[in-house]
Amino acid sequence: MLRFLAEARAVLVKDLLGELRTRVAVSTLGLFAITILVAVAYAVGPFRISAEDRPLVLATLLWIVLLFAALAGLDRSFVKEEEARTASLLRLAARPLAVWAGKLVLNLVLTYLLMALIVPLFCVLMAYRVTSVPKLVLLLGIGGYALAVVTTMVAAMISRAMTRGALFSVLALPLLLPLLIFLIQGTAAVAGGDVRALIPAVRALISLGGAMTVASALLFPAVWE
Amino acid sequence: MLRAHAIFSLMRSRISVRFSGLAKHFDMRLVFRDVSGEARPGEVLLITGPNGSGKSTLLALLAGLSRPSRGTVLHLASSRPDGSEIPRSDWRNHIGVVSPAMAVYDELSGLENLRFFARVRGLPDIETRCRAALEQVGLDPTRGTLVRGFSTGMTQRLKIAQAMLHEPPLMLLDEPGSNLDPEGRQWLERWVQDLLATGRTLILATNDPREMEWGSCRVALPG
Amino acid sequence: MSPGTTVLGQAARWLLLVWMCVVIWAAFFVVHPAEGFKGQASRIVFFHVPTAWVATLAFLVSCVASVLYLTRRRKVDDIRASVSAALGLAFAIMATVTGSIFAKIEWNSFWNWDPRETSITILLLMYAAYFALRGSIADPELRGTLSAAYAILAFIAVPFLVFVVPRIYWSLHPDVIGQTRSGGGGFDAAHTLVLLASLAGFTGIFAWIFSVECRLEHLLRRRQEELLR
Repeated sequence: MLRFLAEARAVLVKDLLGELRTRVAVSTLGLFAITILVAVAYAVGPFRISAEDRPLVLATLLWIVLLFAALAGLDRSFVKEEEARTASLLRLAARPLAVWAGKLVLNLVLTYLLMALIVPLFCVLMAYRVTSVPKLVLLLGIGGYALAVVTTMVAAMISRAMTRGALFSVLALPLLLPLLIFLIQGTAAVAGGDVRALIPAVRALISLGGAMTVASALLFPAVWE
Repeated sequence: MLRAHAIFSLMRSRISVRFSGLAKHFDMRLVFRDVSGEARPGEVLLITGPNGSGKSTLLALLAGLSRPSRGTVLHLASSRPDGSEIPRSDWRNHIGVVSPAMAVYDELSGLENLRFFARVRGLPDIETRCRAALEQVGLDPTRGTLVRGFSTGMTQRLKIAQAMLHEPPLMLLDEPGSNLDPEGRQWLERWVQDLLATGRTLILATNDPREMEWGSCRVALPG
Repeated sequence: MSPGTTVLGQAARWLLLVWMCVVIWAAFFVVHPAEGFKGQASRIVFFHVPTAWVATLAFLVSCVASVLYLTRRRKVDDIRASVSAALGLAFAIMATVTGSIFAKIEWNSFWNWDPRETSITILLLMYAAYFALRGSIADPELRGTLSAAYAILAFIAVPFLVFVVPRIYWSLHPDVIGQTRSGGGGFDAAHTLVLLASLAGFTGIFAWIFSVECRLEHLLRRRQEELLR
């Protein structure tokens, strides 16, 4: 177990080091997210939506921004390996699950960084009032994890295909939409909508995230080899 | 603990590779068919053929990096009491590969690359091992230049260092002498002789007549 | 000998034909329109529900075949997975169209984005994505592996789509299953009988098309391999 963690950590550190030196994923994610956010804030603005619609509509917009940014940047972890042709040596050197764990944590870090940047900015630009910050953080934490699990798995799959860019969005979106539905309802609940929707949303997110984790761990070795 | 023991014993054992009736095709393109052969410890198996005949594809099949459309590949270890085959998922423990199609990380330095591969394989004595490997291929461990700043010859040497890091009993080499200067080629030939002397199994894909002299067993791909 | 030529196979197909004729006749002429629905609209249930059921069944078959492919690595399992997914897609489209027609009659709008309608859309997207993935990989072994993995992942999301999302949120969708169980809401025993018969008939149609398509695909692949020799 300790050895497994050390191997996963080696993969993660290697990717973080590479990312620090090239800053490709971070800049893609960040710039993309900010661009969409600015477009939304400009087009919709903080006051154009009526008070009763705000919790749900703004929750939807927030998650669209986050989702699009995620789809733009979270496939880098695997696509980069195939494009640079380093994937084969990685396959020969590392245990599949260690690769999966390392890349998953990388995507998790990128996702949380993205959320930390965009969510406060969104709330300020769109005057989005959140009734309970701890509950929002919980929701983002669980939702972000589920997002990372699904995108990591899909990224591994499309990295070996021929039309990578578009394919990532096409494959990831249907798997992410159920997630998205729960997240939007949960966020709306936290922002002044029906609070009763929060608990079932969180429960659904935990079970979906859990199911996807188990499935990924079982399927990844076959996908990777 | 158990895994380290398994790796260690595999490294000391001798590996044979037996393949028969191998065929690989991609949708409407046939790469090769009906390829058979055997690579034995202490010997070189040559894979020859014109460009595009599928040498690199065959090597990938033998390394377990892709699956054949037809046929079988077996890795047999002498250390196992029944000489039985090693399961595919374990092949990577006893293989070292050098190939133009497989790159090292160009955003890391030579030493950082080796450290990564050593860590991810769970090898002991990482620092000494990596430095020794670099020195053995004639690269300076103290230079922090990133691989993207290497010459093609230096990159080739680093790939060789990466392949021998875990002292694998089976080596698959795809045109190893490419990009090496005459001094490098001489070093390469000595290194190959050393590998064979220690009972390692070598599979060599090449078109270079000098390299083709290193072995007599041959699988010729028609192309 | 293929199922199409055995005596049992032929008998089964005749039985299926007769069965479906009886079901269609019963659906239109025997049972009365259910209460609580506009006009004759309730009759569509006898066709809409079975197509949705077959779509889900097809996905289950695809998922099971995918699991088998990943464990046994036999080409026949990849064939079954892709054929079943294609059928699942076709039946899902039929379910969407019949549901949409019903929605127009009942609520005067072809599409309402209620949770069940949303779920079927996502299901359609998943299977379109499955074929997009298959189409973008040239290596047949890799194609089989990756699409099997995707089918399994997609199938895991299905219970959430079909059961959890509609239960959490208010739905326009008539709760047919609940109604037939309780016998209330306008569906009586006759309706339930015809519905169940229709379900069985549609399942039979699926099984038959599935078997034919699998044989066809098998022959196509064999031909392709022969051409490459």
